[in-house]
Amino acid sequence: MTATATALDLGDIQGDILRAYGNAYGRTSYVFVTIRDPTGGRDWLRAIADRVMNAAPWPGAEKPSCAWNVAFSAPGLAALGVPERVLRTFSDEFLEGMELRAKVLGDTGSSSPEQWDGGLRHPHVLVTLNGLGERELEAALTELRTEVVRHGLEIAHEEHAHTLDGAREHFGFADGFAQPAIEGASDDRAEGGGVPLRAGRWRALAPGEFILGYPDEDTRVDPQGRLPSAPASPLGRNGTYMVWRKLRQDVALFRRTVAAAAARYAGGDERLLRAKVVGRWEDGAPLVSHPIDPGTFDATAPGANAFLYGDDEDGRRCPLGAHVRRSNPRDALGFEGRLSFRHRIIRRGMPYGEPLAEGVLEDDGADRGLVFVCFNASISRQFEGIQVQWLNDGNVFGLGHDTDWLLGGQNGGSMVVPGATGDDPPFYLAPQGPFVTTRGGDYLFVPGLTALGAIADGVTG
Amino acid sequence: MNATASLTTPTTATGTRPGNRDGYAIAITVFSTVKWWGRAALPVVFTVPKIAPQTISTLQRLSFIHFARWSLIREIPYNGAPQPEIKLRHPHLYFESNFNGGWEEYIDAFSHILTRGMWLFWGSSYGFPKALPTGPFKAYIKANEMEASHFYSAYPQATATQITRALELDELLADLRARAADMPPDEFAAAFGTLMAEAQRCC
Repeated sequence: MTATATALDLGDIQGDILRAYGNAYGRTSYVFVTIRDPTGGRDWLRAIADRVMNAAPWPGAEKPSCAWNVAFSAPGLAALGVPERVLRTFSDEFLEGMELRAKVLGDTGSSSPEQWDGGLRHPHVLVTLNGLGERELEAALTELRTEVVRHGLEIAHEEHAHTLDGAREHFGFADGFAQPAIEGASDDRAEGGGVPLRAGRWRALAPGEFILGYPDEDTRVDPQGRLPSAPASPLGRNGTYMVWRKLRQDVALFRRTVAAAAARYAGGDERLLRAKVVGRWEDGAPLVSHPIDPGTFDATAPGANAFLYGDDEDGRRCPLGAHVRRSNPRDALGFEGRLSFRHRIIRRGMPYGEPLAEGVLEDDGADRGLVFVCFNASISRQFEGIQVQWLNDGNVFGLGHDTDWLLGGQNGGSMVVPGATGDDPPFYLAPQGPFVTTRGGDYLFVPGLTALGAIADGVTG
Repeated sequence: MNATASLTTPTTATGTRPGNRDGYAIAITVFSTVKWWGRAALPVVFTVPKIAPQTISTLQRLSFIHFARWSLIREIPYNGAPQPEIKLRHPHLYFESNFNGGWEEYIDAFSHILTRGMWLFWGSSYGFPKALPTGPFKAYIKANEMEASHFYSAYPQATATQITRALELDELLADLRARAADMPPDEFAAAFGTLMAEAQRCC
């Protein structure tokens, strides 16, 4: 059996996994609901189940005014009556939850769970609402709040996010280019989004890397065609694991720090230094393919994202510690990318809070940042592998214990920007305070719609 | 603390048991029972890297692996009473290695980069599922792995890559130091700049 032989059951997979709503839906609300008793919780789930959006293509040009999706934490599943013997079939890291793994993830000091927003600790159910506009989103929120109260549940936290002008995040960079190409869903994005092969070719990743119950990259090389481990039936088919993190961004501190450093760098070229820190120019043009100037970069052009680091081993064009090179190293670890291709995630983040006005260097006290959302079949191998081994530690890249400079952290590492040519000395960015602080989050399970029905009916095993 | 966490066995951040860690250094110890033909085949396998060092050049390129060692255990050393004498009905393959980074990433490197080499070493062990796919191979290693009762690293705060780079930098610095005493300031500034350019991959 090969991965290509398997068609994805789009009618049963939740729609926010494979479809980037943010491209069409400008507003997203994340509503965390606390279950008080299993019966009330399941009644509520049954009441909203038919609103939950699947991944089937929308007929014609008509888009639903608001797309609903649902995910559960491990305590949330337990609170809805999923038996312990079924829970034991979920992954360890999901059962432990993000708070218990805070130290693993580097969520310490000002990012530690004691500092998180209260309602984001021990969440049960996350309802994600994507609205075409404010009016549509408000209508859905009103309906959701009414149903929650009617069934004796509580809303623990609401986070309202929206796209910023030019699809930028708060530091000013266009975001979300490097999505994985998935067989049966986005084969057309293989070039740059898939696995690099020889002679400039690429292939899409097996769907089981992102959706449970399907062949993954292991299955591809397994003569017996075994599927990856998944929760017990019916929960283990067409679902996935979701990582939800509220990341506060200190935009003023980032601007001040980069501006001060740029005064010492390459004739004061702040735009270039910002690009060196991220690995892409502000409009998304990759430094590897656009080392001097972004030019006129078109992210939608064929091959726009099809770059590798193999011929930039020393990081003269894109520093080894640049954020996008660390978080998706492609072939930067050598061996034609075989050490990194199993650590890919589908990212579905959305900024929250109003942008800090251009040019302002002092913090205005407003809360702004990114709701980081990703989907993967194995949180430990995929999300945690990236976060722990690549972003929080630099050893695998030859960067010692330097953490990702863009994210900082409690012991933010320095960053070396290599000189452009062999004779140019490197430029050192000193360790800095955390530009990004974790405000809360959890590991969640996104069931397929059949599995959602089983949870709502209390027949999970 | 959430209630569902009690259903798991916590590991460290690197995916291994606490006894296998000392700072950034991680130990892995695996015992496997060897089939009859491994008794003859493994000693031959062990001599290959000695005769042809290029056969392990790929392993050496994986700088996060300090070393990897396979030994054939034919008998349990007897140190006198009260230790019981144990006779092994089958020889055992003893694997030990130290590395930096995550347990999963370490085994992934064995699976994806050293695929054929893994068969040479473990192919004669009972239950070895081949190095690919990685899932069964990881399960096999996990099942045969033993947590270290004592593990010590001389430089727990450094990785092997850092130590290697530091030694490279030390050589460059020593060379500059030897030449610097007689240099005028301009020449020293130029030499220092050259050293910085040369050493920028050192950390």
